[in-house]
Amino acid sequence: MEIIIQNSDILIMLGIGFGLFMAWGIGANDVANAMGTSVGSGAITFRQAIIIAVIFEFAGAVLAGGEVTATVRKGILDAGAFTDSPHLLVYGMLAALLAAASWLFIASSFGWPVSTTHSIVGAIVGFGAVGVGVDAVSWGKVYTIIASWVVSPLLAGTLAILIFKSLQNLVIDTDEPFNNAKKYLPFYVFIVGFVIALVTMMKGLKHVESLKHLGKDMPTSMLIAVLVGIVASVIAVFIIRRIKEIPEDDEEFSYASMEKLFGALMVITACSMAFAHGSNDVANAIGPLAAVYSIVESGGEIVSKSALPSWILLVGGGGIVFGLATFGFRVMKTIGKGITELTPSRGFSAELAAATTVVLASYTGLPVSTTQVLVGAVLGVGIARGLASLNMRVINRIFLSWIITLPAGALMSILFFFALKGIFGA
Amino acid sequence: MARTDNITSLFGKSPIAPLQKHMKQAHSCLKDFNAFAKAANAQDWDKADTIRISINKKEEKADKLKKKLRMNLPSTFMMPFSRRDLLDVLLIQDSIANITKDLAGLMMTRHMVFPQEIADDFIKLAGDCIKTSGAAVAAINELDALLETAFGSRERKVVDKMIKEVNRLEHETDDSQNDIRKKLFALESSLPPVDVMFYYRAIEWLGETADAAQKVGSRFEVMLTK
Repeated sequence: MEIIIQNSDILIMLGIGFGLFMAWGIGANDVANAMGTSVGSGAITFRQAIIIAVIFEFAGAVLAGGEVTATVRKGILDAGAFTDSPHLLVYGMLAALLAAASWLFIASSFGWPVSTTHSIVGAIVGFGAVGVGVDAVSWGKVYTIIASWVVSPLLAGTLAILIFKSLQNLVIDTDEPFNNAKKYLPFYVFIVGFVIALVTMMKGLKHVESLKHLGKDMPTSMLIAVLVGIVASVIAVFIIRRIKEIPEDDEEFSYASMEKLFGALMVITACSMAFAHGSNDVANAIGPLAAVYSIVESGGEIVSKSALPSWILLVGGGGIVFGLATFGFRVMKTIGKGITELTPSRGFSAELAAATTVVLASYTGLPVSTTQVLVGAVLGVGIARGLASLNMRVINRIFLSWIITLPAGALMSILFFFALKGIFGA
Repeated sequence: MARTDNITSLFGKSPIAPLQKHMKQAHSCLKDFNAFAKAANAQDWDKADTIRISINKKEEKADKLKKKLRMNLPSTFMMPFSRRDLLDVLLIQDSIANITKDLAGLMMTRHMVFPQEIADDFIKLAGDCIKTSGAAVAAINELDALLETAFGSRERKVVDKMIKEVNRLEHETDDSQNDIRKKLFALESSLPPVDVMFYYRAIEWLGETADAAQKVGSRFEVMLTK
């Protein structure tokens, strides 16, 4: 207890510093993956992507991110193991943040596809199991999280197949693909807006004091979700209206005008991806920081229920935007150039499926990897015969990096944990 | 942070445009044969040789396209059609160019001139074969629209029609081939036997280009029904 009270300022400063580092890493890599396709399709400029990222990553984190933050903050570890030594939890969370952020930095500079989620989970489990004791880890929860890493891409793939197949039947493989796209696309946007809003209100808002009553008030939640869906689809209608069918373009390739409609709607998919990403991945940076803060503020007590101060969200959101602005744009540019094979209609299907899956995962409080979910969704479109060629070797690489990231994050966090213990005292 | 391995690396290079380009190349080889046959018929061997060289060059280019496409098709790629079928289509497409080159070569070295009675028929047969192969080009060109609709039934019907057209044209070449053979048979006794042998061979090879075009179509159909 005394260690914490004596060093409270420096511990919180370290927490903020490491949290920013982690958030910066997320912004530099993840966001670009999530939104790169929209930038690549030319629907939004890089500047617009940053604005969308700022608004919707924040909104996602604040409105729907509470459950995942809670998991990262106290779900992975058994709080009971730390009642007598809360300072160890503070060291551990700091070590986990630094380890995950460093691992992200190292892996990214080598070009390995690592997941921010995997790094932080590996790091927290690492210091918990080795630094404190095997009993300190809530293994049941950890297994659930690992299972969700398998299930989430599968779910996204299935959703992508459903969305894409229905688009194929209603819009693409018809006599008038352009007109049908105009007719049906707002409906898809409505459903996604509705689902995301409903899921957010059911569980996400629990962590927002002034709005948490909505989670229990089903009729109001439904009504608001319908309204959000309608607003989203009205925006879609407005965007779509501006696009005109150009018959000359369609002579070369009959679906050119229709694809332009999908392309214009990539603005909306970018928003939903940013929201989904915010609801799930921001927690990777702010979960540990929130844990550190609440223990230090309470003078060493592990308070299970404490509100998340808004400045912590600012650290998370600010770090992500900073990462996006400093490095993310490069990644985004390469992605934008690289994905010429993913036409807007495919990107639309994949991103909607991925965003819905990630938001659902956030609802259950499971930290999943947005990039992997998106990969699962893209594979789904591929299975539905929608893509010319997918490099399946990349799936192996992702699997491999998944296996390496957990022990790597764990190892580094154990090292940092003992270092912090040495510096501040056991 | 130079991250090379992001979601981009998931997407392989599409084999569709290269396949279409190769088919166009093979077809343009055959298209030149019309002018070659006319020049040969007029015994303008200088001109014929220039065209033959151009045919050879085009065949070489088709070969290069074929090799390039093959090299870009690792077995780890997931495609909406089987890799085997795609390679089969590619090989058959390539044979159109190969046969054309061999035929032009044969006619050139032997300075082959068809007897007056069947010269026009031979040129007409060449035209029919070119038409057949052109119809196959059109079918292959639908592949990107097929992919866009994820091989949807409506677009498939369009392609089915095109493939039927290829078949119909190929039957026509069969008929004209028979007609020429009949005429040639009637003339046989009045011509040098070795020449006659090679006339038959030239007619056969020319007909094979249309056969190959038809095979492109039917193999393409198999490729679509994954």
